[in-house]
Amino acid sequence: MNVSLINPRFVSVFLRADAATVYEWINHRQSQLIGFCLAAIIVGAGTYGAVMGFWSAPLQALYAGIKLPLVILLTTLGNGLLNGMLAPLLGLNAGFRQCLLVVLMTFAIACIILGALSPVALFVVWNTPPLTSGTHATSPEYGFLQLTLALFVGYAGIVGNLRLLPVLAQWASNLHIARRVLLAWLVGNLFLGSQICWLLRPFIWDPDGPPQFIGRQYLHGSFYETVFEAMRRLIF
Amino acid sequence: MNETNPTPPPFPTPPIPPVAPPPSPTSRAPGDAPEDRAPITGPITAIEAILRQPRRVMYQLRQPGSGALMFYLMLIAILCAVIYGVVVGTFAGKEQYWIAPVKIAGGMMVSALICLPSLYIFACLSGSQARLAEIFGLVMGMLMLTTILLIGFAPVAWLFSQSTESVNWMGTLHLVFWFIAAIFGLRFLNTAFSHSQAKSNAGFNTWIVIFMLVVVQMTTALRPIVGPTDTFFPKEKKFFLSYWTDCLRESAERGNR
Repeated sequence: MNVSLINPRFVSVFLRADAATVYEWINHRQSQLIGFCLAAIIVGAGTYGAVMGFWSAPLQALYAGIKLPLVILLTTLGNGLLNGMLAPLLGLNAGFRQCLLVVLMTFAIACIILGALSPVALFVVWNTPPLTSGTHATSPEYGFLQLTLALFVGYAGIVGNLRLLPVLAQWASNLHIARRVLLAWLVGNLFLGSQICWLLRPFIWDPDGPPQFIGRQYLHGSFYETVFEAMRRLIF
Repeated sequence: MNETNPTPPPFPTPPIPPVAPPPSPTSRAPGDAPEDRAPITGPITAIEAILRQPRRVMYQLRQPGSGALMFYLMLIAILCAVIYGVVVGTFAGKEQYWIAPVKIAGGMMVSALICLPSLYIFACLSGSQARLAEIFGLVMGMLMLTTILLIGFAPVAWLFSQSTESVNWMGTLHLVFWFIAAIFGLRFLNTAFSHSQAKSNAGFNTWIVIFMLVVVQMTTALRPIVGPTDTFFPKEKKFFLSYWTDCLRESAERGNR
């Protein structure tokens, strides 16, 4: 379908991700597609981030609204080279720029979904009592808020990736290759994305005091070390 | 009716031979496709070829005058290993900025040279027609692919090296990255081996185990590559399993304190 990428109707065409259309965009309308994906990531993830931070303070909403799109863009760029190398090695005949665009598209779809879920998330945030002497960090209400927000992110990420599976399958002429490539990209992006998220904490609430863009104390350690250490303490 | 154009007498139609299915890209031998026969003229073409058309590299290595290609493969492998080494060195800083690249590039080349004769012997025992020079080129190709992939992992490795203080964690991460990259490198070598008229893969599989053990032991022989260092070489000899056990024990003791 030949709809301009600046046209608001394009969102629906983009989300349908028809294989032939996506292939045409990736090969012939790259700059427009990049512009649209960046806009989708900034608006979608920015809105969702703002909703996450809004629970603790308006300033935290601003910070989280900036940081969430940053996480996605840094992950895309950080893994761009690796993703571009893995694709041909796993059997998909695609160039670096094409791979980068496909990954950017999966994130853009995920961010549009997140943007659409923002009102629901805001409703949950609105209904969660603030941290007082009655409600604390270990309260079920706070746990429910964290879980819901994380669940939405996970759901959007999975749908964003699965949406482009048919495109990759048609591109590779083989569903098996498409699955392998998508899985490799997914694992790589999850691995790096988790660490970037860890470094850019806090998103919802800063237990160490008033909102900061990135607390100096957060720039140490890694997500996986912390998980491993927690498991070690539990088991041994 | 046209009398001058009589109906031709029937003649027996030859039996239609069974049509063989087109060769799949994985079963195709190097040189079967015309693009495999395009010469590799420079390092950039070599990188492009090993990622997208590995059979082109395999085919070109069999041709006379493949010395230049082998040189490119070796040069790129060393350069990429040096770049990744600098990223490894960013964890400890100071002397490791130059020691880590030297150890990684040097250790990798020495490991390959140590294992090259055994690969040639195993190849001959398996019935492979590959010459020693061709096997050397293929090993360089394997190293190049491995180190190029390590460059792909470099941004991730750098991010972790800037945020963590655990030498063990960083060492494990680099080993995992090397292991993933080495799988692709060995896959390249395996494809080339299977197209060299080798009758069995048993020898090659044995060689893979030997090569992996040599590389892992090399990381211990050249330690420390990740953490801070006072001397270029270690003061005592250790087997890699005992070194890893010591590291884990120290880390657990620190965690319990």
